[in-house]
Amino acid sequence: MLSNVKEYFRPKTVEEAFEMMEADREHSIFLSGGTIVALMGSSRIERIIDLKSLRLDSVSIKEDEIVVGATTTVEAFRKDPLMRKEFGDFFYDSFSLVGSWQIRNMATIGGSIAPKLGWSDVSACLLATGAGLMVYGPDGYRRIMLSDYFALPAGEKPLITHIIIKKDGWVSAFEKFSKTTFDIATVNVAISVRPERGRIKAARVVCGSRPQYPMRFETIENALEELEINDVMPSIVRSLVFDNFTGGSNMLASFEYRKHLASVMAQKAAEKIKEMVR
Amino acid sequence: MKITLNVNGNLHEINIDPGDYLLEILRDLGYKSVRRSCHSASCGTCTVLVNGKPILSCSTFAASVDGQTIETVEGLSQGEKLHPIQEAILEEGAAQCGYCIPGIVLTGEALLRENPEPSDDDIKLALNGNVCRCTGYESQNRAIKKAAEAMRGDDYE
Repeated sequence: MLSNVKEYFRPKTVEEAFEMMEADREHSIFLSGGTIVALMGSSRIERIIDLKSLRLDSVSIKEDEIVVGATTTVEAFRKDPLMRKEFGDFFYDSFSLVGSWQIRNMATIGGSIAPKLGWSDVSACLLATGAGLMVYGPDGYRRIMLSDYFALPAGEKPLITHIIIKKDGWVSAFEKFSKTTFDIATVNVAISVRPERGRIKAARVVCGSRPQYPMRFETIENALEELEINDVMPSIVRSLVFDNFTGGSNMLASFEYRKHLASVMAQKAAEKIKEMVR
Repeated sequence: MKITLNVNGNLHEINIDPGDYLLEILRDLGYKSVRRSCHSASCGTCTVLVNGKPILSCSTFAASVDGQTIETVEGLSQGEKLHPIQEAILEEGAAQCGYCIPGIVLTGEALLRENPEPSDDDIKLALNGNVCRCTGYESQNRAIKKAAEAMRGDDYE
């Protein structure tokens, strides 16, 4: 039992949910999947605002974009027929590595992004696909890039309502290293490329669990432009990641170990991309 | 606050505290197959099915499943007749101390409803959140496969 919780709200609209949070931000928390809230066990939490009542749990297509409700579970997202049609096995396979089946049935896409967790495989993959977010804050709705969400000041906490992913023909792959199959990542790497006539026209290279939150490595992305997609490409990716990786140490791994792992994971992801493009 | 839970077909209208976890409520209601172990969403022992999907009752607020359908192991057997997964676990020697078994049975049941003919990899992926420190998992994987065969058979009701 989370002993200090005194009130449990089920708002019917996004606006109502945000107002409830603003009324007592210090003692309130949004509940989406619930895994983080339950595990925090924080005595600070006195008011739970359950977002599932908002019914933001569908995946739809709008012109050239996929729009995902923030309370869609990770498992529903990875198995959604629309996601499989538009992104092949990328999300299906990558998100099978997120926690366990039970956790994926509880954790939501929005709830995986919102706490800005360093190890989030969901955030790493979505960053690599160039995903955007629809968020609701004091000034109403606005659309921001996922990377910009991570850069928001600590006090600015808009409510994520949708995740927006472009269907733009990029090819993506994900690799993760963790101690057990459902442990959090010691390091994770997601790479997307836009192939054109056998070369990389543009790339997104993301490393997560550095241990800070996932980020794109633009130096590596720029170096990959116009690189031929051949047997040598994956080892070039590996070297670039090894030389440019930034991160730190924690109880899971040292910086040096992470740098090595990230480069190996990047090479594996690049191998997958090479096979897909060919 | 008052919530309603449909547990194994039995309707319960109960008063809870807003911070209560589903695990505690189910045990208070008498569903003792639902067990606490790690209390950190890491072991799968507390698994129950909510609307047919396996979730961890130790990390689920009871208020969040108000009005939903919950299944525990108590609801699987029919009188003296065990569920095919339970039978297979016995036959394959897939339970030793037995503490984790309710979670494994329910996860296996959810898998076989979704995929009546799972591969070895499907079973491993489904069960990877159910930790067992006795059996080494191989016998449990065999049991799920054996139960799948039995449940696909004509004689299964």
